[in-house]
Amino acid sequence: MWKRIAAYYRECDEEQLAVLRNPALAAQAPAGWRRFIACKLAEMSPQEREELHRFSSTVRTSTVLFAVLKLLVVLSVLGFLSNLAFLPSRPWWHTVVAANAIGITLAFSLFGVWFNYGKIVRAKGKALVTIIGLGLLGGLFGALTAMFEKGDQWAVLLDKLPKIVVIVTLVVTALVAIPVIVVAVLRNRHYQLQAEQLRRDAEQERLARELSETQLRLLRAQIEPHFLFNTLGAVQQLAEQGAPRAAELTAHLIDFLRASMSDMRCEQVALATEFALVDSYLRVMQIRMGDRLRYRVDLPDALAATRVPSMLVLTLAENAIKHGIEPSLQGGEIAVTAHDDGGTIRIGVRDSGVGMSDTPGAGLGLDNVRHRLRLAYGEGACLLLSEAEPGLLAEIAIPCKEPQCA
Amino acid sequence: MRVTVLVAEDEPLMRERLLGMLAAAWPEAQVVAAPENGIDAWDAWLEHEPQVVFLDIRMPGMSGLEVAERIGRRSHVVFVTAYDQYAVDAFDAGAVDYLLKPIQPGRLDKALVRLREKLDARPDDVSEVVRQVREAAPGPKREKLKWLKASVGKQIRLIDVEEVLFFQADSKYTRVVLAGSEALVRIPLKDLVGGLDAGRFWQIHRGTLVNVNAIRAAERVDAERMQVLLRGSDEVLPVSRSFTYLFRE
Repeated sequence: MWKRIAAYYRECDEEQLAVLRNPALAAQAPAGWRRFIACKLAEMSPQEREELHRFSSTVRTSTVLFAVLKLLVVLSVLGFLSNLAFLPSRPWWHTVVAANAIGITLAFSLFGVWFNYGKIVRAKGKALVTIIGLGLLGGLFGALTAMFEKGDQWAVLLDKLPKIVVIVTLVVTALVAIPVIVVAVLRNRHYQLQAEQLRRDAEQERLARELSETQLRLLRAQIEPHFLFNTLGAVQQLAEQGAPRAAELTAHLIDFLRASMSDMRCEQVALATEFALVDSYLRVMQIRMGDRLRYRVDLPDALAATRVPSMLVLTLAENAIKHGIEPSLQGGEIAVTAHDDGGTIRIGVRDSGVGMSDTPGAGLGLDNVRHRLRLAYGEGACLLLSEAEPGLLAEIAIPCKEPQCA
Repeated sequence: MRVTVLVAEDEPLMRERLLGMLAAAWPEAQVVAAPENGIDAWDAWLEHEPQVVFLDIRMPGMSGLEVAERIGRRSHVVFVTAYDQYAVDAFDAGAVDYLLKPIQPGRLDKALVRLREKLDARPDDVSEVVRQVREAAPGPKREKLKWLKASVGKQIRLIDVEEVLFFQADSKYTRVVLAGSEALVRIPLKDLVGGLDAGRFWQIHRGTLVNVNAIRAAERVDAERMQVLLRGSDEVLPVSRSFTYLFRE
């Protein structure tokens, strides 16, 4: 007999542990109360299940039984003492039974809530109403029992009922409902803090990974083969003509290559360095495109030393050429400027080219710019694009203070 | 024997370079036009109908690929590009001629040998390869025109492009003819061409684009010439010789 009970108990225990690991197994539990429990377990949040599983698989059954026994002893002593102190007229076992009933109910509720707090927190009102409603039912049951025991009349019961209701409600609320809900809320807050921490860790890790990826992309993608080959073609042609501009174009190309190679290696450069790089790029393009391109690069001395993420302004200038001026039949003008707008530095690249509608593929470079701004300044910086009638204005707005991460 | 050649390249130095190299390596070549964008390239092609066309892929207005699609099998096409890896792979696979910038003399000579061999044959059909390359190009495709603004008296009229029967060049303007009315827009026809769906609006003449849905019939005038009759208009549109292939059965 004992063996069969033990085997059955172990079977149930293993089934519940399995459901805690994998909620999908709940459907396989035998119908009836075991299925009911399995389904309830499956409804819990993953973290709740995780904790309950850890608890159930580490704490042994004998330990639990021993703890329950200790609880019963303590409750009985408490009941006996309160009988002596408050209700000496009653037989001692009344208060002992009452203390055990209340204590065990409370202990089980708190135990349940400790592991299954999410449900209570989601419906605090419902939980409160349920607990108090059950309390009221208990009170009514008690009152009816007392009536039959003492042979009171219905009238007497009706007379006493409001008092009973108030007392039962207060006792139940104070003893059960409030502790249960407080525990549930505290546990839930703990859970949310933990979840938030995990989310933040994951976000931080993702940003760190993206940072290194961006650096790699930067290294790979900056000097466009199109730019290089077309410029070399132009140099070759000028050299063959014996034009002095061959040397000039080569010099600008060398400036550009040297500056971009060293810039690529650092995440941050002074604005003066970045503008010099943009200037050498535009000089090269100007010689190649002839009168189809005019340009202006203008940096106030006060901003020369301001540090910014490298290659960003160059990317905007390349975009202005590729998607603004090159597709335009008449060509146009590019203006690269910077100014301090009361705590915000605005760096603008304006082109008078074909504008927003006709810019296939403009997204890639700009995505890269937005990305690097976010890595360096979080939400503090942005890239704005606006129609410039004619053409496009791309503007980077960054806070004056140094970027957060180097 | 003279060979008519068109060179389309947007950067002046690259254009000079290709022209100079051609002059040195191919004395028979007679360059009839050296336009600097796709729109002028197509217009120049319509004017001269050269035997050989060198087309830079990246050009303003219309890309070299678009121009090649319009030319079809009426000229020998050689593409020129600095670095379009996908296009180059497709050209290799489809046996389409191309030159890489900066153009190296040895590579040009090879291309010219091939060209001379093919010159008397009908040009290869490059449209399939070109279509592949265009579809694989990154970024959104260029939007086609949907509406036209035309001033009629004091009013600005909005014209749904689909309703247009035909477009006709009128010096710096374009005559836009609809069923029962017409308007003049301030854009030369050659600049409109790139914005119109080439499958919907057939170019039948250097100065005429006709809506396929508006064509009632095409008829022969004599051995060389044809004309198009329309639905919704009594006008008769001449088809120039190089476009009569559109109506061959």
